[in-house]
Amino acid sequence: MEDSKGKIGIKEFIAIIILTIGTKLTDDTTVILYKQMENAAWMSPFVICAFSILPIFLLIKVMNIYENKNLADVINQLFGRFFGFFTVMILWFLLFSALTIDSAVYTDIISTMYFEKTPVIMIYGLLMLVSAFGAKKGIEHIGSVAWSVIFWIKLSLLAALILTFMQGEILFLFPIFGNGAWEVVKESSLRTSLNAEFLYLGLIFPYLKNKKDYKKGTWIALAIITTELSFSLAAFIMLFDHKGIQLMDFPFHETIRYIEIGFLENIETFFFPFWLIASFIRFAFYLYLTAILFGSLFSIRNFEHLLPIIATLVVFLGIIPENPTFTIFKLRESLLFITTPIFIILPFLLWAAAKLKGEFKNEKAKASD
Amino acid sequence: MKKQKHLIKMVCLILLVVSLGGCWDKKEIERNAYVVAIGLDKGKEASLKITYLISNPEYGSIQQGGSTNEPPVEIISFETDDLVSPLYKANAVIAKEISYNLMKNIIVSEKLAMEKEFIRWMYDTTKEKDIRRDTYLIFTKEDASKFILENQPKLETRANKYFEFIIRRGIATANIPDSTLHRYLRITEADADLFLGIYATTEHEDTDQSNKGDEIFAGQLDTTGKTNKTQFLGSTVFKEGMMIGKLTAEDTRISLLLSVAEKSPPMLISFPDPNKKEYRIAAKITQLKSPKVDLKMNNGISKVDVFLPIHMDILTDHAMENYAKDTQKREELKKYIENRFEKKMMKFVTRTQEEFKADPFGWSLIARKKFASLPEYKRFGWMQAYPQMDVNISVNITFGDFGRQSRLPKLEKVRD
Repeated sequence: MEDSKGKIGIKEFIAIIILTIGTKLTDDTTVILYKQMENAAWMSPFVICAFSILPIFLLIKVMNIYENKNLADVINQLFGRFFGFFTVMILWFLLFSALTIDSAVYTDIISTMYFEKTPVIMIYGLLMLVSAFGAKKGIEHIGSVAWSVIFWIKLSLLAALILTFMQGEILFLFPIFGNGAWEVVKESSLRTSLNAEFLYLGLIFPYLKNKKDYKKGTWIALAIITTELSFSLAAFIMLFDHKGIQLMDFPFHETIRYIEIGFLENIETFFFPFWLIASFIRFAFYLYLTAILFGSLFSIRNFEHLLPIIATLVVFLGIIPENPTFTIFKLRESLLFITTPIFIILPFLLWAAAKLKGEFKNEKAKASD
Repeated sequence: MKKQKHLIKMVCLILLVVSLGGCWDKKEIERNAYVVAIGLDKGKEASLKITYLISNPEYGSIQQGGSTNEPPVEIISFETDDLVSPLYKANAVIAKEISYNLMKNIIVSEKLAMEKEFIRWMYDTTKEKDIRRDTYLIFTKEDASKFILENQPKLETRANKYFEFIIRRGIATANIPDSTLHRYLRITEADADLFLGIYATTEHEDTDQSNKGDEIFAGQLDTTGKTNKTQFLGSTVFKEGMMIGKLTAEDTRISLLLSVAEKSPPMLISFPDPNKKEYRIAAKITQLKSPKVDLKMNNGISKVDVFLPIHMDILTDHAMENYAKDTQKREELKKYIENRFEKKMMKFVTRTQEEFKADPFGWSLIARKKFASLPEYKRFGWMQAYPQMDVNISVNITFGDFGRQSRLPKLEKVRD
């Protein structure tokens, strides 16, 4: 048992990925997709998935060379001290921005859709406090919590989706290609960074009990997330049609407010707690990754101690924007565009560097020894 | 053991979920005035006149032990410019915090609905947190404030229950269309079809009802006795968010039958007997599946073919014709009904093409299927194309049963 301490298995690994990326369907990411692709937005997860396959594949190849190194170490090893530092810096900056922007959006959702009178700073503070507490416990705890709640969270989502499909109108999905087939491919590819978290998963590579799980877990999670996101996007359109959905700020929350189970109305309070827990886990994981990256940037071994500082910083940065719904929406859109090329190119560069340095041969030699 | 521990942990976790509600935003039932319906009229000084129908939660609840002497509802009207600010303004009179939490009905006077500006106020509803998209929209002949004041249900005195019951029942019997805020916004935004709203009134109108059947509006059904004056019957027609006309109960039913977006409820109807015109046959019609609508596009004029399968139960036979027994007569009756339906429907479709210049059937959804992308569909312009379309309706009737006891005695034998 000793050597598995602080490590996670494939179940926990998959649960973490699904909760971190899958929760995106509940915030305004969906609106970013609807804005350009209208009623064909449900196809975009598949396109995005197709575009992310190659980067993820290359990343897995590179990561598998090294046994106990995380992504930051690998980058430093392959790019050298100088370029490595900058690459990790950029990665950290992107992740930190994503964390700030996303947590600000979630706070905005909670305060506009559920708790109107509660001061925003309290909601934000509590959200980050709980997440920081979770992150401080370490990856093992994040993983086991994620695994123990994922079933309930996904069950509640499934219930919401089934109800939506039952009350929705399939004809709203037509014309089938939205703004045109080419438009779908183009706009989706620009937003491939929706899956950028897969890149950051390399950071927890050393914490996996079995290194083979990394490959298997990643592919399984990618398949699940893609299907889930696509179905949800279709469900929201079937309820609101393509015009209405673009006017909304948070389609998922409008959906759970609208659907009803027979005589039971106003059931959003049933879905809300599940969504909250998913958000806690998501931000706990984000915080944890941010801390790892920051730790490796400045060689801080006990990076867990950074968590309270990072969480506080996030809160104070996150409450700055005036009119969060729109400002953050814009910021998030730009962030998606900026991250996309990095997500696609970085794994390729890593792979090329490893190839040039002959790291793959070394590994083979090691294996044959 | 381990499993049990796990289970206990899970249960604790789920119980903890309850505490996520927090108490900053707590609301106490005692300290809230729950608005059940709001009425909207055109204001004299401000742009709107709003009416709140506030329900008394203490009234008629058995748990309280005995009833109170307080009336079931409180009604207040005043002028305002939007739907949100009156929440505080009303507190000049109402002692408790006004809450839209249980508000399920928005009642609008015909006069306001016909205003071009009407849609502006409707979008207020998407701003306020407590207003839900499944709120019913009711349009009244008189002022909404008068409607709310005059409406005095005799048995369902609790206002929230009354509105819920009468509207649900009205929709289930196809007297009124299913008209929610969600549908209003969705159809207006799609800008292709017509939206139908619930039509109601407390004003009685004397009309000659002979042979009119279902061709009446709310307020035209003659009733006597000791009951509520309010009637929910027929529908109002909205084009691009503005009211442009009214439909009788019969036309409302036809639109429901021809609608592709939803299945219509079973309806009870009556029509003259083909053999003896002085008697009417009552029947129950059920839509087996949504009508099959096919759109053929040529350059220039498009063609719409509608095929509508209907299941029909004959409920009365005043002419004593014994349709159940005679295949020949049954076939004749079927032909007659199909013909009558097609004619009535065609007449209505022509009216929508000429008078409203748009359709209330959601047929634009069928047109969407014909295009690969939205720009192509928009270029086609469903609403502009519809009035010129060549519509062809064919009804197919299958008979079910002919009443609980299907055979009748020969009249001549009873009276010999």
